Amino acid sequence: MSVYKHAYSAYTGRLTPLWSRVVVVVRYAVEEALSSRITIGLFTLSMLPVFVYMVGIYLANNTLARTLVLHRNPVFEIDARYFLNVLETQCWIALGIAGWIAPRLVSFDLADNALPILLSHPVSRFGYVLGKFIALFACLSPVTWLPCLLLFAYQGYSSAQPWFVTNLRIAGGLLAGSLLWIAFLSILGLALSSWVKWRVVATGAIFAVVFVPAGIGGIITGVLRTKWGFLLNVPVMMTQLWQRFLGEPEVMRADLHLPTVAILIVLTLACAICVMMLNARIRGREVVRG
Amino acid sequence: MSVIKLDAFEVRLGGRVVLDGLNGELHGKAIGLLGPNGAGKSTLINTLLGFHIPSRGSAHVFEMDTRHERARIRQTVGYMPENDSFIGSMTGVRFVRYMAELAGLPPREALERAHEALFYVGLGEVRYRKINTYSLGMKQLIKLAQALAHGPRLLILDEPTNGLDPMARQRMIQTLQQIRKEGSIHLLISSHLLRDIDQTCDEVLILKDGRIAALCNIEEERRSHRNFIELVAVGPTKDFCERLRGLGCESASFADGRIKLVMPGGIGPQDLYVAANQTGMQIRRIHRRRDSLEDIFMRAMEADPNRRELVRL
Repeated sequence: MSVYKHAYSAYTGRLTPLWSRVVVVVRYAVEEALSSRITIGLFTLSMLPVFVYMVGIYLANNTLARTLVLHRNPVFEIDARYFLNVLETQCWIALGIAGWIAPRLVSFDLADNALPILLSHPVSRFGYVLGKFIALFACLSPVTWLPCLLLFAYQGYSSAQPWFVTNLRIAGGLLAGSLLWIAFLSILGLALSSWVKWRVVATGAIFAVVFVPAGIGGIITGVLRTKWGFLLNVPVMMTQLWQRFLGEPEVMRADLHLPTVAILIVLTLACAICVMMLNARIRGREVVRG
Repeated sequence: MSVIKLDAFEVRLGGRVVLDGLNGELHGKAIGLLGPNGAGKSTLINTLLGFHIPSRGSAHVFEMDTRHERARIRQTVGYMPENDSFIGSMTGVRFVRYMAELAGLPPREALERAHEALFYVGLGEVRYRKINTYSLGMKQLIKLAQALAHGPRLLILDEPTNGLDPMARQRMIQTLQQIRKEGSIHLLISSHLLRDIDQTCDEVLILKDGRIAALCNIEEERRSHRNFIELVAVGPTKDFCERLRGLGCESASFADGRIKLVMPGGIGPQDLYVAANQTGMQIRRIHRRRDSLEDIFMRAMEADPNRRELVRL
């Protein structure tokens, strides 16, 4: 085949290995996500809190700067509480970014019925979903665990004492908390986007699924006077989980603490429902029953 | 080696048998898949691509089992679906490149082949436009381009001329004829338009109610013993037909004086004039007709659908 000869010829060159087709899906999905100026704007905005927290670490560790800026006022301490704030800020920003990006990754393919063509190539449904998942996970990483760990490293570098070694648990907590959250967000975002054709509605659905059950959970907790209503409250569950990961004392009343196992089971169940939703929706062909 | 081999092939969807015990081997360079709506054409294609799992029996594409070697089959096949199927926010060249990369071409080669495929199908000038700005004909062509880009051995086309204007349809047919002539690709074309199949295919598989109604080589069928003649006559056509039946001709007469005849060997046009003279009928016009795909199709549709064996026409 050539442009100027206008004749067909078969392709006889080398082929890439089968596993690398997932990488193709990832690459095109990331390019699609970053092709929007709004995405770039959101990423830029997500760096602002990181910059503020970085200034905080600088001030806490630099005597001269502290004297000039804070006029010898008592300074905040850089500890697990400080990094919990960093983690919470970045993770909720990640929710906003996931709400914007996830529908772009799936809705475009579904809107124009691209799945029959996409899946007629040597990439399985699992490979396709995995590719999109990795792409969304990769897009959320620069907002969550990467800046968190960079701030941790900066604090370790700036601190005069052997702070880094004695607070390694914070780094582990930041990593585990971020990874768990963005994995959950990625699968939730993809599942909801696969069921809603319109991107704006899909974005709304992602926020609704996080916050509407929280309200219902609050009602259950209030009416039945039980802590188990919080199992529908993703913000509360995640905050408790992050506090435990970072070794920070929990601020809620002790009788309202949820067992870690219960939180993990609820998150696993939610992920299983998302997988079922994806399994029902991501198909090369629709089968009409009856 | 057969292109497609079906062995007691059954597919159930939603609890309903859609394809029922298909048997046969297809070897043609261009195979037509015909049948009325709901006959199971698209289901057969989707199962060959691995979208549905056969409930019984097996199907092989180039000796590869559709149940166990889906990835290898998809590597070998280019698929052009019936309905709109593309990513509208992508430019033509980016979409075709994406599909070529998914089929296993390295990025550089995929880009090169995408440009070539788009020029080949006639979309070279619009390859940098977003697909959702394309006309219906262009959208059909972009689906063909992506199916061709990775150099498949079998090109599966589901209603390729759907929604095309006469010019675009003719261009699509010419492109398919060109591909067939080039020789490295086998074609499987599903259509309800007999003319499209007639112009592009050398073998035809006709489905009816999920079963094979006919499987034949069009060229061989045309060269077969059947010899059709259509007459326009004035006079006692009934007596004329009676007389011809005595000579071994099959005949059917119509109210407007038309008579259709199937002539056995050894009977020629001169015998018709003799019979007409003897019965007092005047022959005004005489047409010698070849067996068309339409005749083959109509006979297949009239065949008993409950008959399980392969019908050879």
